[in-house]
Amino acid sequence: PVSTKESGSQHLELLDLTPLAESTFSLVPIQPSRYHTLQVRRPKVERPRRNSEPLGGRSFDTGQQWRSGLQFGVVTSYLNLEKLGDGAYSTVFKGISRINGQLVALKVIRLKTEEGIPFTAIREASLLKGLKHANIILLHDIVHNSETLTFVFEYVQTDLAQYITQHPGGLRPNNVKLFMFQLFRGLEYIHQQRILHRDIKPQNLLLTYLGELKLADFSLARAQSVPSHNYSSEVVTLWYRPPEVLLGSTDYSAALDVWGAGCVFVEMLEGVPAFPGTTDACELLQMIWRVLGVPTEDTWPGVSQLPNYRAGQWPGDLLGRLSRVAEDLAGQLLRCAPKDRLSAAETLRHGYFSLLPPVLLQLTLEIKNEGSLCVPAPTRQLKVPMSP
Amino acid sequence: MKYPGSAECQRLAFLLEEALARESRLWKMPLHRNASIQGTDISPSQHDEAVLWLGELCSRFKFYPETFALAVSILNRLLAVVKAQPKYLRCITVTCLILAAKTNEEAEMILSVGDFAVQSQCNCSPAEILRMERIILDKLHWDLYIATPVDFINIFHAMVMSSRPHILDLLPQKNPSRHAAFLTRQVQHCMACHQLSQFKGSTLALAIITLELERVTPDWFSVFTDLLKKAQIDSVEFIRCKELVDQYLSSLQLSSLPNMVYIYDPANHDLMAHHMKFKPKEQEFPNPVNYRRKKINTHVKVMEVDDFYDGFVYLYNEGMTAPETGQSADINACEKGLELGSISPCPPLQTPEI
Repeated sequence: PVSTKESGSQHLELLDLTPLAESTFSLVPIQPSRYHTLQVRRPKVERPRRNSEPLGGRSFDTGQQWRSGLQFGVVTSYLNLEKLGDGAYSTVFKGISRINGQLVALKVIRLKTEEGIPFTAIREASLLKGLKHANIILLHDIVHNSETLTFVFEYVQTDLAQYITQHPGGLRPNNVKLFMFQLFRGLEYIHQQRILHRDIKPQNLLLTYLGELKLADFSLARAQSVPSHNYSSEVVTLWYRPPEVLLGSTDYSAALDVWGAGCVFVEMLEGVPAFPGTTDACELLQMIWRVLGVPTEDTWPGVSQLPNYRAGQWPGDLLGRLSRVAEDLAGQLLRCAPKDRLSAAETLRHGYFSLLPPVLLQLTLEIKNEGSLCVPAPTRQLKVPMSP
Repeated sequence: MKYPGSAECQRLAFLLEEALARESRLWKMPLHRNASIQGTDISPSQHDEAVLWLGELCSRFKFYPETFALAVSILNRLLAVVKAQPKYLRCITVTCLILAAKTNEEAEMILSVGDFAVQSQCNCSPAEILRMERIILDKLHWDLYIATPVDFINIFHAMVMSSRPHILDLLPQKNPSRHAAFLTRQVQHCMACHQLSQFKGSTLALAIITLELERVTPDWFSVFTDLLKKAQIDSVEFIRCKELVDQYLSSLQLSSLPNMVYIYDPANHDLMAHHMKFKPKEQEFPNPVNYRRKKINTHVKVMEVDDFYDGFVYLYNEGMTAPETGQSADINACEKGLELGSISPCPPLQTPEI
């Protein structure tokens, strides 16, 4: 029913803050098994193109109303519907494919004429071409014009940053668990292929209205060579940057993404970022030391050799307020020494996930059916209620 | 020194599987006919020349061997799908390198296209490079991330080292990182041989590591069959490749001339004729004599400097061990000598110790 969606955002807040019976908006009963809440996006004054809404998750797949003869790789094959967001070097639109009627996200990258294709775009395209997984964003098509370059992605309704903002005070523990499970499945998959994401943060974790989580934005990602080389330390958005990178390490590994995921975990549970360290790396380090203790050569061999390490007055308390098993997991993800952090594969076997149906652990890793646009995700078979 | 256990073996096996999948998805066999790559006018020796030039540029820009291998793979895949004229080969080659660098190198290592155009002395304008960049991306469907022979040699080497650590004691290098770097250099040499470019990277890498195992250990066969099974490589192809690699590498070793490697053409043993063939092409460059000398020197440097050594330290959990410092000082001295223009012979590749 349309009315549900239009008043969706109010519903949510009321659901969180006041009992349902007192709500003035309880015109439509909330069905716990549907994920209304994830359909909510930033409230907009004007929503002229309501007909593009993925009703029931199905797009217009009637077959006839879409013109045949349209090709992939051509700009006229896609219609822009509305602007979703602006990035540093790109703008994201919601769009629709005239080839098959699927909703798509169009990431339009402005090309600087003198440098050609930005390396971020080349990396994102060439890495995503080889990644097919339910928890990784799917790249459908690339349209290359003289002024712009457009990546056509599967359309995903919202992202974790918006979702957290819509549900102040932290998400429901069950939802956190499901999101975490999917996040680490995605990480396990890319890490097995020795790909580092290098920008894990809520904005880059997209959520479908069904509660599927997908890793997106691979523009900082890179393939790790077998003999490890020195990498850039100018990676990962500051708040999610691990201590080894803050200290200037250039031979980091997959544990870098695990730290970011640990920060996201705490943020989902608490509703606020784990380490919101303004703009200064030194201040952020002090914040981390205050929670985790100052690392020494005993707790983190080699720490004093890192470029930005300074022995000094760094005060030292511990993670509180979380459930014991969640606290244990957070504690094992947010370890200062990269080698002490759990790997993505180990995390999936942590007791925190033990209450999830065991069948989840036997899911095959990769999507074999490449052509399919409707990607089955683990949560879809689950029927786990996922209201916020 | 610590050796990774069975979890590491499993991880490597998965990594190999992934790399093979990527290779079989993207690899295209270049066709050679009538001494030129089929469908193009680019001759095999021009191809080899281009690859050597890539090696020289990679060392000049201090790129990783992986970047070199990726650039060569992009070049080979492109030449397998498009008809290209020799006059565009330089532009194609330098653009392949730019694409490989954008894919594999960190932002701070990537030069601007303008600097690439000037410093590579490719004789083409940034605008031409940008047009070429677009053509290559379109022709290869933006799918650049292929598993290269260098990736495979690293995986195979790590597999051998983690499953049979005792082999290390038999190596002249006595150090897995140095040994891997040595094998990587062999791979790089072989990539500059058009006859070997018709083999998949996995086959080439397996041939190189098998020849090395044959040399160092009597029970090489069990190690080799293990790898062959895991890599699912066709054994007929493999045998052909191994023979060619053996011939090619020993021809490099046996040559008394230090720079034999740059002019050797297995299809054409007449060196004079070989040189003659390149004369007209060199005139395209402003200062051919100077260019060629420079080229030889820098390539010798590639062989001398063990600059990817550092990368392997982490993999094998080696600390910054003292014994290496003496040697790297020697290398620096060597490099200096080269830069001053003194002629230093290529270090011979390891002589077989049976």
